[in-house]
Amino acid sequence: MSESAPTSAETRRLAEVARDRVRFEEEALELSDQVYRVARRLVGSREEAEDLMQEAYARAFRSWQQYQPGTNLRAWLLRILTNLNIDRGRRAQRTPDMQPLEEGDYFLYNKLESTLGDENPDEDRVIERLSQNSVVEALAEVPHDFRDVLVLVDLGEFSYAEAAQILDIPVGTVMSRLHRGRRALKQNLAEKAVI
Amino acid sequence: MSCGCGDCEKMMQPYLDGVLSDEQVREAQAHLADCPGCEKRYRFEVSLRRFVRVAVYEEMAPELKVKLSSLRAPG
Repeated sequence: MSESAPTSAETRRLAEVARDRVRFEEEALELSDQVYRVARRLVGSREEAEDLMQEAYARAFRSWQQYQPGTNLRAWLLRILTNLNIDRGRRAQRTPDMQPLEEGDYFLYNKLESTLGDENPDEDRVIERLSQNSVVEALAEVPHDFRDVLVLVDLGEFSYAEAAQILDIPVGTVMSRLHRGRRALKQNLAEKAVI
Repeated sequence: MSCGCGDCEKMMQPYLDGVLSDEQVREAQAHLADCPGCEKRYRFEVSLRRFVRVAVYEEMAPELKVKLSSLRAPG
């Protein structure tokens, strides 16, 4: 080995690292709309979501080398973001005691249908009993632990396994929280339905 | 009124999530084809999920995008 060889190898390596970093940053920024979509509903306000996004992206850009290329970058970004959200002490306030949940999955449909006074309504007419604002409120009122899972799976379209990895909880817990979260959402929607 | 088949009601969310086995999917499809009550509720669940996704969507502010971009490492 000559003396100069390591230097040029080192230069090449640094150039590669710089290129990889730029590629990482560009990919992460391209995903920001999708990450925001989830972040916005993990917290209560636009301002909180924007703060959280900035914190998460700052951390992601600092620790980009921990990301394994070829794995799901959107999930990796959301793992950082959900961790930051939990670290913010949001969990200091424990999940409040929930009202008992309705037993059946058909509960919301049955309730809405019964308000129509129509024997066999089209499902779109049943949906019309709900307003956009009521959905936003109903989701915000789902307790945090359940809402995190609900938002990741139903809005972020992550699989159970991905949601488990993002939140660092077992898949079984994802499934039970999702189940309870969806029930809670439906219950809240039923209470806010336009009757 | 619901058809009263509790099994079908329990299968609904896993069916919508696409996590049932092939055999269970065939069972669910056969049941839905046969039971107008569940079929209607199935269509409702599909519409509800779409409705929720659209209703809670809020576009990211362009200024935030600029801010995120500015957080990149210098150089």
